[in-house]
Amino acid sequence: MRKFWIVLKREYAQVVKKKSFIVGLLLTPALMATIVVLPTFLARMKSSETENMAVIDQSRYEVGERFVESLKEYRLEDTTKPYYNVQELYKIDPADTTRFKQAEDSMRTLVSEKKLKYVLVLLPEPQLSDSNLFLITNSDNFTSLNRFEGKLSGILSSIRLEHSDINLSVDSVLELTHNVNLVTQDTKGESIPFTTKYFSALVFVGIMFSMILGYGQLVMRSVIEEKNSRIMEVLISSVSPFQLMCGKIVGLGAATFTQVAIWCVLGMGLFSIKGALDVDPAVARMMFDPVIVIFFVLFLIFGYLLFSTLFALIGSVVTSEKEAQSFVAPISITMILPFILGISVVQDPHSTMATVLSFIPLTAPTMTMMRVAFVAPTLTEISLFSGIVGEATLSLIVVIVSVLGMIWITSKIFRIGILMYGKRPTLPEIIKWIKY
Amino acid sequence: MSMSYLVLENINKSFGAKVAVRNLSLEVPRGSIYGVIGPNGAGKTTTIRMIMNITVPDSGRVLIEGRERPADFKNIVGYLPEERGLYKKMTVLEIITYMAALKGFPETRSRKEAVPWLERMNLLEYKDHKVEELSKGMQQKLQFITTILHDPELIILDELFSGLDPLNIELIKSVILDLKARGKTILFSTHVMEQAEKLCDHVCMINRGSKVLDGRMSEVKAAHGTNTIELVVDGDASFVNQLPGVSRLVTYPNYLELQLADGADSNAILQAVASKVSVRRFSIEEPSLYNIFIEVAGVDPDQLASGTGGGAHA
Repeated sequence: MRKFWIVLKREYAQVVKKKSFIVGLLLTPALMATIVVLPTFLARMKSSETENMAVIDQSRYEVGERFVESLKEYRLEDTTKPYYNVQELYKIDPADTTRFKQAEDSMRTLVSEKKLKYVLVLLPEPQLSDSNLFLITNSDNFTSLNRFEGKLSGILSSIRLEHSDINLSVDSVLELTHNVNLVTQDTKGESIPFTTKYFSALVFVGIMFSMILGYGQLVMRSVIEEKNSRIMEVLISSVSPFQLMCGKIVGLGAATFTQVAIWCVLGMGLFSIKGALDVDPAVARMMFDPVIVIFFVLFLIFGYLLFSTLFALIGSVVTSEKEAQSFVAPISITMILPFILGISVVQDPHSTMATVLSFIPLTAPTMTMMRVAFVAPTLTEISLFSGIVGEATLSLIVVIVSVLGMIWITSKIFRIGILMYGKRPTLPEIIKWIKY
Repeated sequence: MSMSYLVLENINKSFGAKVAVRNLSLEVPRGSIYGVIGPNGAGKTTTIRMIMNITVPDSGRVLIEGRERPADFKNIVGYLPEERGLYKKMTVLEIITYMAALKGFPETRSRKEAVPWLERMNLLEYKDHKVEELSKGMQQKLQFITTILHDPELIILDELFSGLDPLNIELIKSVILDLKARGKTILFSTHVMEQAEKLCDHVCMINRGSKVLDGRMSEVKAAHGTNTIELVVDGDASFVNQLPGVSRLVTYPNYLELQLADGADSNAILQAVASKVSVRRFSIEEPSLYNIFIEVAGVDPDQLASGTGGGAHA
């Protein structure tokens, strides 16, 4: 037991003392913060300026005027400035094709010169067909497009009604047929936007993925180094292979947790300084959700143990790091599955595929974490044996049992593999070692 | 029997169809320097690995003070494997304290006791250097320190002299003699028989996995008679092998080692040689281990080991 600690201490010190550890410690959160904060930041910058536009109107019924009027309700955030500024409204007789052509060309030029953001072109009778109107723009601002569509639908519907046989006032029909605007709420009566849940889930799974894969591979490299430097035989004359293997795995695991713990402390520190971080309350709820945090810690521990033991096994049978890479690639892919399947998992966290992958040892840690992070904040009560908490617990048990099995198999292969130089053993040989 | 510190009883080990060690028994007395010698591929390393419990014998027992695999075995043994290696990124002092700690030796003590060893090995000024900054010879000496720093009772050195220059060989030899004087038991293997001859007081010769001879060095030599002649001459002495009574000889341009057939007259040989070339030295010696090996194994170890660097016997 004492020797286990000595191995552990060395492995830990070898990582933590390195410059790359400190660089990774600082660089990773900086990178993540950039990824998380930058889009919001950019999105906010956009809306601080009034968008210029123009309308070319060939319709009868004053569609252009009514559209311009309807846009006045939109204001920039926290200001009294209008969101849209309609610089020109050309009313052109449908017969005057020369003037229309002229106006359209000059407006197109202005859009391409970025002097105008949108030009709405209404051909004659826009109420009859959608092909009789279009928008010239180089931007794909969803918000604005949705607004324009909504406003134009209303205006054109009322024109259609005015010219129909329905014996009702236009206003009452519009009242009867107005579009539903669906606001999502969770069972707690609060709403966390989809994107917040999605990105928070990605952050949790991302940390788990990079920690497990990064430090798991360190275990493998450390074994390969001792094999290649021939120091293994001396080590084995001092400690048992099992002590050596466990010391390595736990020592590097401790380094993993040091890194995550420092991040947590840094994060909490920044969070507690009011105003230092403008954290969305929805994001904060995700980050401090007890169910998510508990499962994150547990899956990080046991996921790490599972993969690092597997990596120790690979390290003990291969003869060089180059040879090991061919094993690392498929392992990385199984871990990265939740990212690849990303959207489809979060859209239906209870789908058969997501559920099955939660119970396959190698995909379980990341897949279950993804699902927990997505579903857990919406739980009203924590009941251990139903729903996602129950499934996650079961998935955790699967992982723990696999860890024990993996340690058993690896310890059998490890003690022989580490003393084999020169040639990689064949699969039948390895199976013989397990029985031996 | 009670004098023996380490005993191997009828050890057998095969790798597939190849027999590496066949029915090997040996007794290493406490406080002795025990040499296991034989050409490359004779089974020396396999034997040592079985003593170290790195390789498990197919049959037979390894006993330390009469016990099989005592619990503290790993702490009381110091092992220098044939394949040398150290952590490249650790400093000299770090690696010494780490290796000692793995033997249950406290760091405060190993830090203190490392200094005189480093001084003796001319490594003290490098104590904070990384291993990768050291020359090959320095790394060898450093690894030797890590093998013995924890004051082991049993020291096992596989191919002790490989990779050392003559100066360092003398240094290591003097350390080994000191360790013996302090009552430690030392077992080493080598294919360089001349080195073994000058160092060990017990010897075991192995050839193709089997023991061909063992015993006290003085007894082994006495048993093989005093029928060896060492001859140094000026001029060409190649005619010597045609003389009657010369059964085997080692020839260098000016140096010859002759073995006489039973009953041959050494005076007649001297006269015959002196009549052709001028003799600078003529002495009747105990046979060298090399010659004894040839006699008992019936093969020339250098020819067995051809191409593997096992030829330094002169």
